[in-house]
Amino acid sequence: MSKFDERIGRAPGDGKKPDIEPPSPGPALGSDPFEALNDGDPLEEWLDAAERLLKGKTASGASQESAAAGAGAAVREFPHTPPVVDLDEEPALSEIELPPPAGVLERMLDANARRRLEALAEDLPAEGSYDHFGLSAKAVRSAFPLLYTLYRLYFRVRSEGHQHIPSDGAAVLVANHGGLLPFDGAMAAVDIFLHTDPPRLARAIVDLWAGTLPFVNVFFARVGQVIGTHENFTALLGEGNLVLTFPEGIDGIRKPINQRYQLQHFHVGFVEHALRAQAPIVPFAILGSDDQAPILYDVKPLARWLGLPVAPITPTFPWFGPLGLLPYPVNYRIVYGEPIQLHERFEPDAAEDARLVHELSAQVRRTVQRLVDRSR
Amino acid sequence: MRNVLVTHSDEPLGRRVVKLLWHDERIGNIFALGADAAPRAFDTFRAGDPPRFAYARIDLARHRPMSDFFHSSQFRELEIDTVIHVPQHGVASEGLPLAGNVSSRAGEARLVLEHALATRSIRSLVVVGSAFVYRLAPGNANHLSESSELDLGPDPAPGLRPWIDCDMLFHGEIGNPRLRVALLRLPTVVASGGYVYLHPGLAGRAGPRLRPLGFDPLCAVISDKDAARAVQAAIHSDAAGAFNLSGREAIPLSVLGRWTRRPCLPVPGLLLRAAGAGLGRLLGNPLRDLLDGPHLRYGFTLDTSRAERELGFQPQYRIGLARTGDGGLRLETARA
Repeated sequence: MSKFDERIGRAPGDGKKPDIEPPSPGPALGSDPFEALNDGDPLEEWLDAAERLLKGKTASGASQESAAAGAGAAVREFPHTPPVVDLDEEPALSEIELPPPAGVLERMLDANARRRLEALAEDLPAEGSYDHFGLSAKAVRSAFPLLYTLYRLYFRVRSEGHQHIPSDGAAVLVANHGGLLPFDGAMAAVDIFLHTDPPRLARAIVDLWAGTLPFVNVFFARVGQVIGTHENFTALLGEGNLVLTFPEGIDGIRKPINQRYQLQHFHVGFVEHALRAQAPIVPFAILGSDDQAPILYDVKPLARWLGLPVAPITPTFPWFGPLGLLPYPVNYRIVYGEPIQLHERFEPDAAEDARLVHELSAQVRRTVQRLVDRSR
Repeated sequence: MRNVLVTHSDEPLGRRVVKLLWHDERIGNIFALGADAAPRAFDTFRAGDPPRFAYARIDLARHRPMSDFFHSSQFRELEIDTVIHVPQHGVASEGLPLAGNVSSRAGEARLVLEHALATRSIRSLVVVGSAFVYRLAPGNANHLSESSELDLGPDPAPGLRPWIDCDMLFHGEIGNPRLRVALLRLPTVVASGGYVYLHPGLAGRAGPRLRPLGFDPLCAVISDKDAARAVQAAIHSDAAGAFNLSGREAIPLSVLGRWTRRPCLPVPGLLLRAAGAGLGRLLGNPLRDLLDGPHLRYGFTLDTSRAERELGFQPQYRIGLARTGDGGLRLETARA
């Protein structure tokens, strides 16, 4: 064996190594090569399975279905050619014709919510594909009815000031944060979706830590939440999205009960991005989130040891196990304030001025605090 | 009319590039280099009088053969003005031993760059790089631009270190006024039949892989045909710099694994980490990263607006499963 052969890891007389085993015959002639596809996202498969269970199908029936799908008998269309939509003839919400509800999840929605979901479909990636941040239309459709039920029946959300939410273009929505688990973000996103015309899907910025959590990281991405890196924030605003951000970050959700509704230190990144993208900042207050899981004490050494941001003691946790972390059924109230039009006063390069950015961030923080205090 | 030199043309991407350039009327002579004998697909290219195609077998990591080649009469006769460096990416590159701390992939890159700089006739250098050089923040999908941070930590995955070294070598010459350097950063490259290149967790032979349970990173993918088209666009453009490239699709790792006959079996992360640490201590670091590397947890998509703007590159090929003549399904790429 020559030294050269030895270096490239080839046996003597081996000749040319194939990369993998020989391929099977090519596509059948005369057909669309992508007519069939039977592999899906595991999260979507689980959601399908959950819906089947809710429908009351037997496990054996479901397994027969999946076996048939595996054999290629039941396959869905390859998704990447979106239907042509005539934008000039976009129907108003009330004109959208609804087919009868398809499954249990759809039955949880009223006609208005279903119409909004239909209207939103045009802005979502085609079925079976994902946007830059991992959003899947199917996951949104499956998760929305559950969140809507929480919104309507569990947290009984009331809101005001929707006229301040821009109906198009990029904007940064800034709110207070609280309540251990981020239900405030979810309720705000549902509220925005239900009160904008045309309906808009707000993309919430989540902490890096959420990206390290198994299952949570996939679920968040599929329903439109985005990890808070500079590139992601820039891209979201560049695409004209409503970006929902909680500049208190983890400090907001772990504040103890004696600091409820007192805003913590604001991170300043949202101001930089709003300036660069010349997008307005819409401050808003969420009331109720700080009452959903009041933290009596945060055992910080334990949190550090476990690598968690917080090790809370609440009236129900750890006494009732993981169930004790579930939020109490408090009333939510969301109040939107007037947009702060930074772009009317500053050029994009103002984002380089650290002192100005800090001052603007503090100004937004004071505005949100005032909204919270006034609305309580 | 450009006369081009293509390195590692015996590997899948290099072969695809040569085939595309052969049919490009704006390309004159093509000199292909490879570590192995010339692929049979090149036989038809040798026809013509005078022939506009030549092939040489050469070890790019060794200084003497490289120097001899760049000073050879054959090289001079073909009047090469553009070098396309395609680093090793096939199965043969997996077992590359390290010489000191420098892999042969980085050694090759250094020699190619050195000779491209020293040869007066060469005006452009187009390099195929990997987008896995970026540092990944936690999260299922991070959108990365060319200005995103590279993974310059002290302990990157061993499979990625040579790509990072190559990237930095060529990136250092991007401002060179004499030599235009276009560095193309490709995500996972897939080809018809289920071939997959560059992804640290899926590269190599078909077969099952392990991935941490609860993580299913989104993988940007590009077809090998689009990758070759991007190289072609970079040759004909005057733009210099680093360019992210990507296809139309982004696919979760689990789906990509199934499509490419490398099913990724989910295993609890703690178990994987423990097994990786134990085996890593016995056999070395590569196993740890193979079992629990960041690319098995966190995914990325690429901002390709710069390549669209400056190279005029738009992906044209769809990637998906197609039914084959024998009734099975296999990964296929087809023009949209």
